[in-house]
Amino acid sequence: MKFGSMQPRSLSGCVAALFVGLVLALSAHAQGNLEIDTPAISALRKTMQQRHAQLAPLYASGAVGIAADGTVSLRDAAAVPLAQRAQANAAVAAENADRAALYREIARANGHPEWEAEVRRTFAQRWLERAQPGWWVQQGTSWSRK
Amino acid sequence: MAGRPIRVPAPAAGHEPLRGNRFPRALVSMLVLLVLATAVPIAGAAVFRVLALQIGEISRPGLVVQELRVRLDAHEQGGELAIGRLQVGAREWRALSLRCGRLRIDDGAFACTAARVDLGGRRLPVEADVEVTLGVGPVRVVLRLADGGRIDAALQADGRFRANLHRLTSPAAAAVLEPWHAELASRLRDLEAAGVLDAELDYRLGEGGGAFAQLRGRLSGGGFGRADGLLAAEGVGAAFAFEVRATGAAWSWSAQLDWDAGAAYVHPLLVEAGPRLHARGRFDGRRIELEAAELAIDGLELATARGVFDSSTRTLEALVVELTGADLPRIGPRWLAPLLVPANAQRLRFEGRADLRAELRAGRLETLGVELRGAGFGLAPPQGGYSADGEGEAGSGANGEAELLAFGPVDGLVRWSSRGSGTAALQVGGGRWEKLALGAFALDAALEPAGLRLARVRVPVLDGALVLEDLALGWSAAGWEGSGGVVLEPVSMPSLTEALGLPGMAGVMSAALPGVRLSPGELVLDGTLAVSVFGGWLQASGLRVREPFGVASHLTGEIEARHIDLAQLTETFSFGSITGHIDADVRGLELSSWRPTAFDARIASIEGDERRRISQRAVENLSALGGGGALAVVQRSVLRLFENFGYRELGLRCRLANGVCEMGGLDAGPDSGARADGGFAIVRGGGIPALDVIGYNRRVDWSELVARLQRVVAEDVSPTID
Repeated sequence: MKFGSMQPRSLSGCVAALFVGLVLALSAHAQGNLEIDTPAISALRKTMQQRHAQLAPLYASGAVGIAADGTVSLRDAAAVPLAQRAQANAAVAAENADRAALYREIARANGHPEWEAEVRRTFAQRWLERAQPGWWVQQGTSWSRK
Repeated sequence: MAGRPIRVPAPAAGHEPLRGNRFPRALVSMLVLLVLATAVPIAGAAVFRVLALQIGEISRPGLVVQELRVRLDAHEQGGELAIGRLQVGAREWRALSLRCGRLRIDDGAFACTAARVDLGGRRLPVEADVEVTLGVGPVRVVLRLADGGRIDAALQADGRFRANLHRLTSPAAAAVLEPWHAELASRLRDLEAAGVLDAELDYRLGEGGGAFAQLRGRLSGGGFGRADGLLAAEGVGAAFAFEVRATGAAWSWSAQLDWDAGAAYVHPLLVEAGPRLHARGRFDGRRIELEAAELAIDGLELATARGVFDSSTRTLEALVVELTGADLPRIGPRWLAPLLVPANAQRLRFEGRADLRAELRAGRLETLGVELRGAGFGLAPPQGGYSADGEGEAGSGANGEAELLAFGPVDGLVRWSSRGSGTAALQVGGGRWEKLALGAFALDAALEPAGLRLARVRVPVLDGALVLEDLALGWSAAGWEGSGGVVLEPVSMPSLTEALGLPGMAGVMSAALPGVRLSPGELVLDGTLAVSVFGGWLQASGLRVREPFGVASHLTGEIEARHIDLAQLTETFSFGSITGHIDADVRGLELSSWRPTAFDARIASIEGDERRRISQRAVENLSALGGGGALAVVQRSVLRLFENFGYRELGLRCRLANGVCEMGGLDAGPDSGARADGGFAIVRGGGIPALDVIGYNRRVDWSELVARLQRVVAEDVSPTID
């Protein structure tokens, strides 16, 4: 798959939507109030789903891993062609900005901004559980291939 | 007996070693003759088979060869040359041997060709030719490497050393280096160094005994990659020249690099070929001093640097970098955006020029000075933003899209220091916030190591101004935080509505927001925004902007409107005509990308108006907004007989959540005002002729409602009534 294309092939598009959808849905089950939906949350969800098409090949190659703190991490830039490394880094930064906003929004939408850290922890666990086999995940401080 | 080796004894201990440059050629010749003379009688034949020679030490400046043994096999025309200890410069190796394919010794010289080389018992992946002329002659060494590379080196008796490196590849170099300099070889391998090197090395002693070395050449297809991939290069083509000269106890050096092909990734920057570097400095064995460096790079008129690097502690003691004439449209996207705002790098636009001077001490930025000349900055809308109608993005971020925020031209100076106060004095020629043009303003700020303080900034907006007062901002890893006050000096509604593309309204807008607080992801605007409009007033309070500039940016607040003249309101929005006054309250208002996504709004007519009339068209519009569920409770024929009707009271409630407006009417509790037939009264008639407007549809799709309202207002078309 060509990295950097915003037009996912239909399969990867479906996988992307499924992955993000599953994580969000399952997170919601983990704690009822995570199900909360606001326009801001759905906007974030939408951009994250779109970006997943760009991130999925990076997860598969091991360039980007699912970090323990609810973010994604450029853990092996060498797996990305040199000319696309800056782009991959930008995608990771943008994804992490959206994730931070998502955790804040969910906590706020619940009327408890102070829940942000808890929301982040719960999501971190779900992202990790939902990662596909072969993706790199971080537990504690060490990385391993799922 | 033939083949018996004959040894020339090494010089006895305490003997003066035979110094190469004073080694008498005659003595060597004599030694060899002596060997030959001795060999013949012992062999008992006309020709000897094997000859062995041993020399205690050959010494040249920078080179010491000890325990040199030469063994010549006349029959095989081969032989062996073994060195017990070899010292070049400060490094030494033991047990070096060359098994010569062909060994020739004559007249004080020996030539060993097509030799296999062993060092410390390990075979090296090279084939060597070594030619040594004892006395004043040179030592020549040719190494042929496994993959076609070749090193041609010659050491003259006067200490001059020259080496030509032909097509030297990194794996071959690492294999050759392995036994000599294992650390360097393993570093080459770890970095996955690639490329072909052609170079000339020249080393000689100067007049006063000071050494001079020069390395010049070209790297083709060069590359390397650190294991984590954050530092890497590919396809690098570069010409280079390094010179080192001993000056007293120290060295002076210069370097020239012309990088003309390939690219490198220096996290998070992609750097492409083009830069040319000239640098010179001094080296005292520990500190590398950069006296002057000049970098020619696309988008910069001039870049210079000087500094000191401590090679023993590997710290950058000091560095001063000056960039002159930076062309921001070229420098900004490539160098600034990925470093400063990687998540939004694609959304930033740069204009104008800048000069920069940065001082680093002990590896940390200490001072930074920036001068801006006609600089401009713009932030495009995020990709995939929310839109209320659910049809795609609020903005694509492509060029030509209206920017969320833009400033320029900006001129002035910024001086920041990590150890004390700094200043920023900028003249901003203008700007734009969404559809609002901002006028010219001066921005004077006191800078602190991790923050800034603005005494007062007055930004003209239309015919008013936005005034920032006592604004203090601090920077931490989480983002910007701060507090201050904002005052909106009165802006006339006619100019504001015109700028925003809204129907013209009379009145003024002003705001006093003394409690402005910024935290990561949130902007709190405590205070009141007041608008005098439609003969009454409206005020907004509890304003909060969340995720400003992000994809999920949204605004929340409360609105209270009092004594709004319906005649002016309905005329402004071409809604037909209603006379009378209303109060309105909007609680829990939430806007995403300026579109309402949640609120609880009530509108109610107020007592005291003498004439309350509602036009036929307004009745039709009101009914139509109900989506066929609302109905004017008069016969259609009757409705058409009169231009307008009297009414006693009017009330409407809409509670918006999840895209659905939950409607209510007069006495607008969710269940009060309810009629037996399930409808709710929006207008209750009074006077002659009178009519009621009854709504029946309690749940209305908000986007549908907005679309209808827009049709009614914009197209001025009378809706149909079922």
